Amino acid sequence: MTQNPSIGISQSRASTAGQDLVRIVRINEEIKSIVAVAFKINIMALNAIFLAKRAGTTALGFGVLSNELRVFSQDLKSAMGGLSGVIHEAVTEVSVVLKDQRLISLLNRAQEESGGNARVAAALELRQKQMVEHQSQLRAHRRQLKMVMENVAQLVELGGVLAKSAKIEAAYGQGFSNALGQVSGEFDGVVEDIRHSLVNLNKSEFFLQR
Amino acid sequence: MKATQCFYQDGEHKWVAIVRDPARPDCLIDTNEYLVSYNGSGLLLDPGGAEIFPAVFSALSAEFDPAALTGLFASHQDPDIISSLALWLEFNPKLPCYVSWLWASFIPHFGGSAETFVAIPDEGMEINLNGLNLQAIPAHYLHASGNFHLYDAKAKVLFSGDVGAALLPAKSDNLFVENFDAHIRHAEAFHRRWMGSNEAKRAWCERVSRLNIDMLCPQHGAIYQGADVERFINWFDGLRVGVAVG
Ligand SMILES: [Fe+2]
Ligand SMILES: [Fe+2]
Repeated sequence: MTQNPSIGISQSRASTAGQDLVRIVRINEEIKSIVAVAFKINIMALNAIFLAKRAGTTALGFGVLSNELRVFSQDLKSAMGGLSGVIHEAVTEVSVVLKDQRLISLLNRAQEESGGNARVAAALELRQKQMVEHQSQLRAHRRQLKMVMENVAQLVELGGVLAKSAKIEAAYGQGFSNALGQVSGEFDGVVEDIRHSLVNLNKSEFFLQR
Repeated sequence: MKATQCFYQDGEHKWVAIVRDPARPDCLIDTNEYLVSYNGSGLLLDPGGAEIFPAVFSALSAEFDPAALTGLFASHQDPDIISSLALWLEFNPKLPCYVSWLWASFIPHFGGSAETFVAIPDEGMEINLNGLNLQAIPAHYLHASGNFHLYDAKAKVLFSGDVGAALLPAKSDNLFVENFDAHIRHAEAFHRRWMGSNEAKRAWCERVSRLNIDMLCPQHGAIYQGADVERFINWFDGLRVGVAVG
């Protein structure tokens, strides 16, 4: 029996589907950690708003920025929620590709062992086509995921600016400047954590494929 | 690849066993698949697990055109019985699968859609294979809670699913039971543990004693023929089942 060369190619392509699943799981864990940080920023910002209130007029700017950081944490949380939806769809698609791959490999073996059967050949061809379709859907999810991540990256840049400005504002806090400085330093630190997570996410080999 | 052995033939009416796969990994239980063919149409009984589909398909192809299969019969829902369903449906999406109504919404986890399943009612039903009348005989709780055997009155063959199964040593590859007493030792622990109900077992023994059976064909192990059929039914009748230590 002659081997269909396209089958070999699709199989090696599909074998990355299992790795994709592992990568997606890691991406999802990273997303969860960012959501946890967003939650932390929300609490920190609330505390900072109270602190600014206590500091009175000297910390007016700091209070405004803390409010903005709170809004930022909520935006971040909802952006990450959007990511989770795409992740869910990507997992579904990867599972479908894995199933295609398993069926193709077993049908291939049946074809080889039986010496070739026209109907199995037709079934293989159909399943191959379906797998190509599923793989292209997976690529679409990958692009969508990448796009959402770019939006998140911009959002985080904004968060970074807010944290830096809060640091500057803290310096004008007179008697409260130490406390305000500490809080703004913490803001800066957690935004940095998120940036770090995003860099990790972008490095995932899941995004290196086309 | 598995071997095929035709053990009943009357013109265009055949029973073929698909047995012993030397390439089968040890972690998979050895299974027998059976083909009943009549006037060019075929029904495949307990088509087997997904992992052995290539071996079953190729062995079947050597004996019979798989495109002429008109249905699958699953005695129950186990993975070694029917997890190959998705692959058979890749081959022929219109292939119906006869199975207890109890499992009709469980087996789609292996593949198939609502149209795939012909639900067998608890009391059993007749299955017409291109003019040959086959009977789905109730064997509930032996071992699955919805379980059927298939009887061919014309060939006097009863396909008995897991009933009569023996976990034989690797070297034994006889199609038929040669020495009942030696053979049944390999069946005892299996029946004690897998068969869940003494009441159901009693009812089954009574039911099948009324049938005229030349050959009793289990899904694992060897086929009982002639006097061994009655020997087996009597042995099973006397065995206390539903026993697990622990
Ligand atoms: Fe079973
Ligand atoms: Fe079994």
